[in-house]
Amino acid sequence: MTATTSTGRRRGRGITTGWSALGFISPAVLVVAALLYAPFLYTIFYSFTDYDGLTSPKWVALDNFKRFLDDPALTTSVRNTLFWVVGTTVVPVAIGLLIALLSFGIKGGTLLRLPFMLPYALSGAGLGVIWGFILQSDGAANDLLHLLHLPGADISFLQQSPYNTIAMIVAMTWQQSGVNALLFLVGLQSIPTPPLEAARLDGASGFRMFRHITWPLLAPLTTVVIGLSLVASLKTFDIVWVTTQGGPGRSSETLAVTMYRDAFVSSDYGYGSAVALVLTLVTGAVTVAYLRFQIRGQEKLR
Amino acid sequence: MKRFQLAIAALAAVTLGLTGCGGGGDDSSSGGNATEVKLYNDKGAWKTYFEGVGKLSKEQIGLGVTPVGYTDLPTYEAFIKASFRTNNKPDLFTWSTGGRLKEIVDSGQVADTSDLWKDAIANGDVSEELQPYYTIDGKQYCVPANVSYWVMFYNKKVFSDAGVQPPTSWADLIKTADTLKAKGVAPFYQTSVLFSFVWFQQLLIGTDPQLYNDLATGKAKFTDPKVVAVMQQWKDMEDKGYFSDPGSKDQPEAMLKSGKVAMGLFGTWFNTNMTTQGMKPDSDYGMFVVPNVTPSLPTTTVAFESGPLCSLTKAPNPEASTKFMKWWVQEKAQDQWANSRGDVSANPKVQIKDPSLNQLNKDAGEGKYALANRFFEAMPPPVLTAALDGFGAFMVDPGSYQKQLENIQKASDEYWKSN
Repeated sequence: MTATTSTGRRRGRGITTGWSALGFISPAVLVVAALLYAPFLYTIFYSFTDYDGLTSPKWVALDNFKRFLDDPALTTSVRNTLFWVVGTTVVPVAIGLLIALLSFGIKGGTLLRLPFMLPYALSGAGLGVIWGFILQSDGAANDLLHLLHLPGADISFLQQSPYNTIAMIVAMTWQQSGVNALLFLVGLQSIPTPPLEAARLDGASGFRMFRHITWPLLAPLTTVVIGLSLVASLKTFDIVWVTTQGGPGRSSETLAVTMYRDAFVSSDYGYGSAVALVLTLVTGAVTVAYLRFQIRGQEKLR
Repeated sequence: MKRFQLAIAALAAVTLGLTGCGGGGDDSSSGGNATEVKLYNDKGAWKTYFEGVGKLSKEQIGLGVTPVGYTDLPTYEAFIKASFRTNNKPDLFTWSTGGRLKEIVDSGQVADTSDLWKDAIANGDVSEELQPYYTIDGKQYCVPANVSYWVMFYNKKVFSDAGVQPPTSWADLIKTADTLKAKGVAPFYQTSVLFSFVWFQQLLIGTDPQLYNDLATGKAKFTDPKVVAVMQQWKDMEDKGYFSDPGSKDQPEAMLKSGKVAMGLFGTWFNTNMTTQGMKPDSDYGMFVVPNVTPSLPTTTVAFESGPLCSLTKAPNPEASTKFMKWWVQEKAQDQWANSRGDVSANPKVQIKDPSLNQLNKDAGEGKYALANRFFEAMPPPVLTAALDGFGAFMVDPGSYQKQLENIQKASDEYWKSN
């Protein structure tokens, strides 16, 4: 923008060019403003109000955020969200990496990887429905554990907390590992051969090869995979809503589910917006902090 | 030149903007000669019944019905509420009575139906006992879309296999449950999703109906020793294994049909669910009124619900909406509506074809039962939300009843502080 106007000015007719340019970009700007900026700013505004969706919003300053701090449902919700963050950034990423490493460069690798990719075809809601049936009390999961004489046959996976959150994380792992494997595979393929060959000549192989050569070279991609998982886990909603609706008794809610419930089920749009705002800030802060940390680490490596 | 370019720029912006926004306004409702009303509802599964009524209304008053069904309650409520603030309003919509109706009436958007009620009561199309459910600050709003009594549905084959009969006292019911349990059948259905209040409601209205009403009006506390005692009784029943798994994803009608569960407590609207499962009333399944827990109470209390059909003051075509509602409460419309679904009707003139329903309807009409407004409508919305969660959590961990009651009471305190 500034560049265009300054070069324009030099040509003397700059201001008019600027105006007509503005005219041509304004529809796009308006669309973005109306569809992206306005709802965001509105949500921020609502988070400082008491708004039931029917009468006009009442300004309550920081009340919603104060309420946030001593809401027992929120404590559970934050705890569960942390479970999700830790669970889905560690397990599916690790499994994905393992699948990629083990199947990379061997004959028929694609065929071996294929079954892991298939679950990704499911939507989060579909995942919730299917795993809901598997995990329900006396469902397939219980039957299987019973048959194998394993512990857990009597646990109601979707009813008891924190098993319900853990069970859903397992379902998510089932779906996500394949995609992570795919991403890691792209990373592995993009590693240039010279350093690998040099390492091999120096006698590196197996775990040492991975630890000192492959893993550091894979780092940029690992950053992306973990970063994506981090954001996805913080906003976990669909699978929980479909499988347990956050219940029973709000025991499996995540922050995103709490936000939805407060806003749309309890018609407490002000409070719901406050939860949304906090969730956005947390997601933003965590992502930025993580990326900063990672990139600094990688720069050190160079 | 400069002006010309500015004009071009403005024109470009405006045209592009307009094409972007175009196609939004569709003005299909023009004036008083509408031939269709759009009926928004949260009963997506009842599409054919709405269409059945619509066919009849088309013939009789020249107004057809296009049902717009939702199946997810929160989405539906959010949509209806949002429509109050936009120009895309429904002609008619279903809602619930009680706190939720008051909420939208207070916003000043719901059409007053006081005149319609006066006429309908005078004609004997609606019974006067229903009026309080539809009265807010002395005026009536909406008309009854459905009425239902809460009774116990039971699988007749399971009962006869176990050699038990519909009970006539609470002690009898418990004995029946023991017999069924010993046969390996779960005596009662329960769910922790949405309908988690059902057993609390039944136990409390059968023990102390006044206390139930006082809870609804904030006069009594959920931590009252008598309420605690009801929870302990419920816990005792949970501990004895009388209930089906609260988190089961199976439909209750399917569980009743397969005989996995012997009894389920539902509104009479559940009849529709049973018949669509292919079960025949009176031969495959029956229904009975649950006896009071406290035998010394003079009359048996039955939970009762009535859901409204509403229109808005700023409806697209208020005359058409009113015309339809006037017709809706009459015998012919109600006969079609109630009997196609197999439920009772708000219109006392309607002959109910299902014999046990008809008996129930007659008994209730003659004042054999005391009616208690269903928990869902009786409680203020924030208290209801907390209670549904609390009871759901209780079912998974019955030992936590004290904590759950405290949580519900907290919501109640909060609500009554400002209302």
